[in-house]
Amino acid sequence: MEELMKILEELRPDVDFENETGLIANGILDSFDIVSLVNELSDAFDVEIKPSDLIPDNFNSASAILALVERLQDE
Amino acid sequence: MNQTVLKWLEQTVKTHTDKVMLTDENSSLTFGEFDRISKAIGTCLAGKVAPASPVVVMSGRHVITPAAFLGVVRAGCFYAPMDATMPVSRLNQILKIIKSKYMLVDRAFANVADQLDFDGERLYIDEIAETPINETLLARAAEQLLPTSPLYVIFTSGSTGVPKGVITSHQSLMHYIDAVAGVLDIQENDVLGSQSPFDYIAAVRDIYLPLKTGASTVVVPKNEFSMPVQLFETLNRHKVTTLCWSVAGIELPAKLGGFDCGKPEHLKKVCFSGSVMACKYLKIWQEHLPDVLFVNQYGPTEATASCTYYVVSEKVDDSTVLPIGKPYENYGILLLNEDDTPTAPGEIGEICVKGPVLALGYYGDAERTAQAFIQNPLNPNYRELIYKTGDLGRWMEDGNLAFHGRKDRQIKHMGHRIELGELEKTAAEVEGVSQCCAMYNKDKELLYLFYTGDATSKEIVLHFRAVLPAFMVPRKLIRLDELPRLPNGKLDMQTMKNLF
Repeated sequence: MEELMKILEELRPDVDFENETGLIANGILDSFDIVSLVNELSDAFDVEIKPSDLIPDNFNSASAILALVERLQDE
Repeated sequence: MNQTVLKWLEQTVKTHTDKVMLTDENSSLTFGEFDRISKAIGTCLAGKVAPASPVVVMSGRHVITPAAFLGVVRAGCFYAPMDATMPVSRLNQILKIIKSKYMLVDRAFANVADQLDFDGERLYIDEIAETPINETLLARAAEQLLPTSPLYVIFTSGSTGVPKGVITSHQSLMHYIDAVAGVLDIQENDVLGSQSPFDYIAAVRDIYLPLKTGASTVVVPKNEFSMPVQLFETLNRHKVTTLCWSVAGIELPAKLGGFDCGKPEHLKKVCFSGSVMACKYLKIWQEHLPDVLFVNQYGPTEATASCTYYVVSEKVDDSTVLPIGKPYENYGILLLNEDDTPTAPGEIGEICVKGPVLALGYYGDAERTAQAFIQNPLNPNYRELIYKTGDLGRWMEDGNLAFHGRKDRQIKHMGHRIELGELEKTAAEVEGVSQCCAMYNKDKELLYLFYTGDATSKEIVLHFRAVLPAFMVPRKLIRLDELPRLPNGKLDMQTMKNLF
């Protein structure tokens, strides 16, 4: 989680990732952010994020993103 | 009636009254309903505003927004759209330039409007859309409109830190829409998928192609652009046939692997513009959609959306560089050298545009207008304005124009125009930033800021987020003890590039 939070905070220092649960639903992360994030996550955690993983539910909160990364790492 | 966009609206509404014109996530409008709302809003305004006045419209990406724009036009006025998601200070800069006495506001943005330095009258769109229509008043207002009257003012980045309001006339817009409708063969059964915010130049196609041809437009929700599976589902659900998107918008689904899970089944034509297309992504589109027409467009807002186009006739590969093609109908292109002499055949020169498609200038800014829109230096005999784009080009042997980058430090990032100088000016406003240099890493599409001083990168980013649109916020901030310099004292850009 720590490593993920570091990536997220560097990506968008203005967002409260600890508490926000509508990162996509509320339009907080835009498409620039998602593209950067997908690249960073792939590099940092050595996972392959497939288009079918790109759904709002997987990116609405830091914990959802973590769950996605952990699931992909197990695959 | 004079040759204005109202003429298109009047004609199309007669033949397509009950056909759907616009659809968003929650609702849709037929041409008849669109017309009624524009007349109601027009009646309300015509009773208040003098003709040829600017009216600010701050509304979201939904179907009523274009109807509000046309309402302003029906009052004999022109609209200046503002994106309420931009920082308040940016919106205030726009208000200070446009000095509008009236602002049409989407009720959802009432709280944003509360924070603005605006002392005119605020009108809620849903409320004034119910005004009883007064045809006499509207007819009188419409008589005031000439083909050369302003239609809208759209704001773009300026190197001094003050945005520039580009004023487009009815005739310029109509020439462009006529030309692009011809190249894409837009018919009444076409469905356009709209990507752009309505305050941005790219939206004119999504609004005015239906107005001219009876086609319809579907507003694609913004957050679907990074969710390709959902995006394609939306395009398929609405049977979208036509996309007029930024290059960045076209690249995204290919970049994110969207075609691994599906494709837009009903698509027939795609035109893109805004920056140079990376053909490795266009190749993916072509492979999955071999029968689709792809058109590359080029042009600055000052010459009304796009001034040249190239129909992609070849199968592209990773290294293909697309030409920007030939001028659209009613657009003229000339290339000039630094000293205003004509560029020799095959040489690179500054792309200049002429014809009835030039903007009327920058709103309230005679000085910057005079610098960019000048008398054609090759014509000593009569008045003929050209617009100097600041872009470099070269005529190829086959008669197509090739694009060769910028003369200055303006860049295109995700389809948006950005002056790197404006980023440096903004960074310098942060306490603890002494020197700085903004650069663009084109390969990774990242804005960099190199700086010296005690400020943390977080402090700088927070300041950017407070004053500039999101696409102008640097993504990589690199603190240095000293900015590298060449022996002559100029900044050593190459050394900084090595830190990308």
